[in-house]
Amino acid sequence: MSNPQYMAPSGDEERVIELHLPSRLGYEKVAMDTASAMAKRMGFSHDRVDSLRTAVSEAVTNAIEHGNQHDSAMKVVVVFTGSDDGLIVDVADQGRKILDQTITERTPDIHQVLHSDDKGGWGIWLIKELMDEVQFSVAPSGGNKLRMVIHLDR
Amino acid sequence: MIDDELKVTTRQRDGIWIIDLEGDVTTFAEEAITGAYEGVSKDGAKYIIINSRQSDYINSAGIAILIGVVTEVNRQAQKLAISGLSPHFQKIFRMVGLAQYADIFATEEEAIAAMQRHQKAASEPTKQ
Repeated sequence: MSNPQYMAPSGDEERVIELHLPSRLGYEKVAMDTASAMAKRMGFSHDRVDSLRTAVSEAVTNAIEHGNQHDSAMKVVVVFTGSDDGLIVDVADQGRKILDQTITERTPDIHQVLHSDDKGGWGIWLIKELMDEVQFSVAPSGGNKLRMVIHLDR
Repeated sequence: MIDDELKVTTRQRDGIWIIDLEGDVTTFAEEAITGAYEGVSKDGAKYIIINSRQSDYINSAGIAILIGVVTEVNRQAQKLAISGLSPHFQKIFRMVGLAQYADIFATEEEAIAAMQRHQKAASEPTKQ
């Protein structure tokens, strides 16, 4: 891998999977299925695998829709790094639109949403609810990067 | 290469309308789900069950579509239940708060039984 930020700890290269997905809805399922396969191999429970699938799909969908604005020439890069403690998933877009940080802090309220024209805005909140750690930063590409971590219960 | 396909059908059981969803409930599902809901409402549906059949991918856009249905159900004073969700999506729907507006059941049969209880209660004369 050329990007040093994505380098796995020495000797753990076999635990890193990197996907480059076109910014077209539907491809988030490739990331979901990869996450699922990796998490099952690592010994995550069925419930945690389901949570991971939802979180990964939301992160990649956000990158496709918002970060890369559906430009299929732009890639969403998803890096899965497994360790003895858990799984780190980095989702980076190419930043046609930079994520408004206030969105990352928002907790949607269904009572308000019911009376609003916009029924959405649940994705990032769901990721934060379902994952053990979530960080937002700037990707090396200049786009948005979301890192989520799910720990193995031991 | 990767298609998001959702099959939506409607049927009636004992005065209860059932909207069956089979496939992915994502942003591409809006027209089909909203259309099915409007169709049964036009036919006079008061009791509606959205029944998920093999929908193992429901994302936040799909949840937003269902919240849109809930909004209309409230406006039309209908009763809505959701059935057939996996335990994971039952959990997600409760987290989002949808369970405050639509009863959530593991199976269609449980949803039908609950709806029949609502029908019966609604048909009984109000005690003075």
